[in-house]
Amino acid sequence: MERPQNSVVRTPPNSTAVQRRSKSKSYRQSYRSCLGAASRLGLTPGLTARRLNSSRRALKSHIITEKVNPDHLALLVKREWRLSYITPLHQFRHTQLKRYSRQLSAFIAAEKQQGVAVEVEGSQSGFRVSFSVVQGLAATDDDAETVLIQIFSRPVFAKQDEPQKSVWSGWLTCINGNPEYLQSLPKGFTSLPLFGGSGAEVLTSLVKSWFQQTFDCCFGPLEINHTSLQWLAALWTNCHTESNLQHLKMIWTLPVVPPLQITYTINPQDAWELWMSVRKDRLEKTEDEEEAGSIDIEEVMRFVQGLKSHFYRHFRLDLSAGNLNQVSTALGSAKFSGKIKISNSRYMITTLTLLTECALLKMPV
Amino acid sequence: MAATINMSDSERSSPNDQSVSSRSSNRSLRVAEKERRKNEAEDPFVLALKYFSDVEAGTPVYGNDDFERNLVLVEKVAYSRGLPPEAISIMLEFAMSLRMGSAPCVRVLKCLIPATVVPQEAVVRAVVWLGVGKIPISTQVLFIKWVLTIFDMIDTKDQLRAIYGFIFSYVTEENLCPYICHLLYLLTRKESVRVFRVRKLLELQSKLGRQPFLLHLLSLYKVFCPELVTLSIPSRMRSGFRNHISPWKSALIAVQKRNGSQIASSMGLAFTTMDKTSSRKRKHCHLEFPALRPVVNKEAPTDQSSGRKMVPLVQLHSFAELLENMHRIELPAQMGSLLGSSLALQYLDCVQDESALLRLNFWLGYTLHEEFLFCGDGGATQNSEEALQFLNKLLSAHHFLQEGFSSSEAFLYKFLNVWDGSLLRPQILGLLSNIPVVPSSQIGRLLSEPLMQLFFTSSLFFKCGLMECLNSMLLKWLTWHSVYALEDDLDISLNSHTSINMTLSGFKDSVMELVRFVGRLASVGLQIEGCHSLFLSFVLDFYETVCDTFLKYGLPLVVMPPSGVFYPALLATDPISVDRLAYIMHRYKVNLTSAKAQEKQTKQAFHISRQTFHEFNHYVVVMVSCLWNSKMFQPGLDVQLGEELLLKSNVPQFWTSFDLIHHPAFMSYAVDFHQKCWPGKKDMDLSSIKHSKPWSWYLEYLFTQGYDGLKQFAQSNISRQLTAGDGQGDTQQR
Repeated sequence: MERPQNSVVRTPPNSTAVQRRSKSKSYRQSYRSCLGAASRLGLTPGLTARRLNSSRRALKSHIITEKVNPDHLALLVKREWRLSYITPLHQFRHTQLKRYSRQLSAFIAAEKQQGVAVEVEGSQSGFRVSFSVVQGLAATDDDAETVLIQIFSRPVFAKQDEPQKSVWSGWLTCINGNPEYLQSLPKGFTSLPLFGGSGAEVLTSLVKSWFQQTFDCCFGPLEINHTSLQWLAALWTNCHTESNLQHLKMIWTLPVVPPLQITYTINPQDAWELWMSVRKDRLEKTEDEEEAGSIDIEEVMRFVQGLKSHFYRHFRLDLSAGNLNQVSTALGSAKFSGKIKISNSRYMITTLTLLTECALLKMPV
Repeated sequence: MAATINMSDSERSSPNDQSVSSRSSNRSLRVAEKERRKNEAEDPFVLALKYFSDVEAGTPVYGNDDFERNLVLVEKVAYSRGLPPEAISIMLEFAMSLRMGSAPCVRVLKCLIPATVVPQEAVVRAVVWLGVGKIPISTQVLFIKWVLTIFDMIDTKDQLRAIYGFIFSYVTEENLCPYICHLLYLLTRKESVRVFRVRKLLELQSKLGRQPFLLHLLSLYKVFCPELVTLSIPSRMRSGFRNHISPWKSALIAVQKRNGSQIASSMGLAFTTMDKTSSRKRKHCHLEFPALRPVVNKEAPTDQSSGRKMVPLVQLHSFAELLENMHRIELPAQMGSLLGSSLALQYLDCVQDESALLRLNFWLGYTLHEEFLFCGDGGATQNSEEALQFLNKLLSAHHFLQEGFSSSEAFLYKFLNVWDGSLLRPQILGLLSNIPVVPSSQIGRLLSEPLMQLFFTSSLFFKCGLMECLNSMLLKWLTWHSVYALEDDLDISLNSHTSINMTLSGFKDSVMELVRFVGRLASVGLQIEGCHSLFLSFVLDFYETVCDTFLKYGLPLVVMPPSGVFYPALLATDPISVDRLAYIMHRYKVNLTSAKAQEKQTKQAFHISRQTFHEFNHYVVVMVSCLWNSKMFQPGLDVQLGEELLLKSNVPQFWTSFDLIHHPAFMSYAVDFHQKCWPGKKDMDLSSIKHSKPWSWYLEYLFTQGYDGLKQFAQSNISRQLTAGDGQGDTQQR
């Protein structure tokens, strides 16, 4: 698989990153100035920092079914995930997943029954946790392998021989993460910045607090912002010829009293034609396939502007005043509140790349 | 008889009191006591003890007058002065061996009030008797309660720890279990936590249900071996073990009071694992410091760490313990927890592990971002009380470590752009004053721009607060410089020990940029606020720092205040501002002269520009001619008004209107002086003070009023003879 970031405009190197990499004798380094040294100054983390890529490759249908275990893929698609970002995990080992499974299930058991101690290594009856690596999803060498977590439990009134049912699942991933950032982390840290969970909220928070206590990391909610939603709308539309969109649905909210919610559904063929008219310039101008495959933020903006002005012509309502809250197509759906559903595994990588970028943007250091 | 007992008793116990505290002297003490016992064989207390140590097994209790008499005697001593270690051993042995049956057991146990310490051997023997004799269960409980009560008085505990397994075996005794658990809790060390013990306790738990005593012991096991057991203690069970002091409480307190000994008994024994104070849950709960927890997944033991046992930070409760274990402290699972405890902060100051600090910065940065930047629903504004406490704790950590964390710095640069200038102002300004040196090229974008916007749109109090903050920031930068700069290597980079490899000239540029920025703020601020004297005072604070950069902090840089600051201070209506200005000018002079002297001496190439000297001289000329020589509005000075305009104003002798007599700030002193000088004079002529004699008296008078700044200024800039004459100030300063 060719590496998609070749055509992508790189975010400027980040000075925190540079600073952390340099091996200085100073122990104060990490909590000394974040831009102190004149010599390695350049950019400051607080301000320049990472930015959303302004250009990215079109959704290529990656044939990941060949590389990734189909059982795992089946778990990842067609399910709505609530997203979070995570700061890098400390002392996380992909080789210790069995141990983590035992520890997490003991932790859940202990938290569920407050005031009862639970043996970590012993056999538990209540919850069974399984950690597994999703091999083949990582796009570059810098990306840590994706980790899938499943929690099984036997229903309260089940028969003895009834199999345990999956009651919660979640994953941590990093796809095409900013290599400068990833390489800048000292040894002992693993960055899996994107977390998705699906299942009971109680279990999600238990899993999170176990991770916090075990790997000294922090979880924060990851919303999919306006720009990212527009990116997704354009990227998905771009795939229409390969895989039918069926519809492009956008939900906008307008800040009026009472709040007005607008569901704007576009015929996939119309959307495709509009997109092509936006893309025409570039496709005509360039022979280079590499160049033709990449999409700029300007094109996305023009596309969405086209949709907005079409709406204005009909309803005299300017959507620019409102917020894009949700985008959905047959390929997937994404909500501002940070929920995502990927329905087609072929376009998973690019979507996860975008989301990884969003998650890395939230990193505090 | 009682009287003699008491007397002899007090005689013998008095040497005891002096050597109470030290354990090592106990042995010699006991030897000495033995000898004394030989000499004082007739002492009835000694005889009584002898009776109990020698009494034969099977001797009847009832109707035994000897026994009754001797026990009363021992009790009397016990309740009045407490029993010496020897006596404790004898009586405990007597009781637990059941030599006279179980009847006297309780009575003896109740009177075991130690005067000083309890010998460990006695306790160990008694524990062994537990397993041998047929002691009634209630008496066994009483015994364990006694051990718990006097636990802190047991001289050493190594043998008790050695029989940990033996003591542990009693947990299966249902009645003893709660007390045994408590005792085990006190004795547990990391090496005593074993899988089979964990299993045993869990088995008991499944039998007895969720019992607090089991949980507390298990939670200690979790502290030592989180990989073996996990649990979560509900808040209602967090209170800890109960103490069992009641049977001995009054006697023990009385004895301790009387002996004046401060040996702490287990009265205050509290359960000190992590208990969360705030149980109030809210949706976005970022502002809590994580609890100190040990790491679950330890690194595979390397050669280095296998040799020494690591101590979890949670287990350390005092600074002494911290020092003792400094070399083998294990960092907690969450670095953020270090900020929550003052003891841990001491350790943080020594942490050299870069990734540990990065973990801390991740957590801190995350918390600040989530609470103050990302939080859509108001965040900090809604929970200002918690935010306040959090930031105060962070600030005190900064102060303790004498520097800020890089994540809070990065946060501030973002936050300043969205801050309204009033939310948590003292805290934010406090954090801001802790940021390390910012390169001069960045100051504008990171600090000046957002701060200027805030400054010009905020209240007077914000302006004062910001001025104070910038002053303290400058002070910290200068202090940092004076600590790390290499004296003989002024122009090359600063000491490599620090992380900032900033060159001296880079540092100078930063300081200059900051001082100029503050100069601009101050000039405009004074104008906006009508030269408010409160604000002026903060501005002068800042320049008191600036004028001394060379002498106090060894930075070869002198920056003069802009005229927007100089004139408001010179023409201020309160004498204190004028005095402080004079003091500042005096310090400038001292700094400039010594810089010049040093430049000549060492021929070193740091150069204070002619422009600075020029500005300084100019200011001094203005000050002298305005305050001393009554030559205001003369050509050549900054303040010039048209001749006609001045004549039109009808102010007689307008050129004198800002001398020390007519200056609005000093007029009242002049009047006062006039009255004192010529008490009889009806019509007041202030100009008469200007004559050479009264003028020098007047100056003396002003100086005695506490205007040391003026005094120092006068001494360094004005020669008296000339003042008497036409008053030409000595201001040549090239």
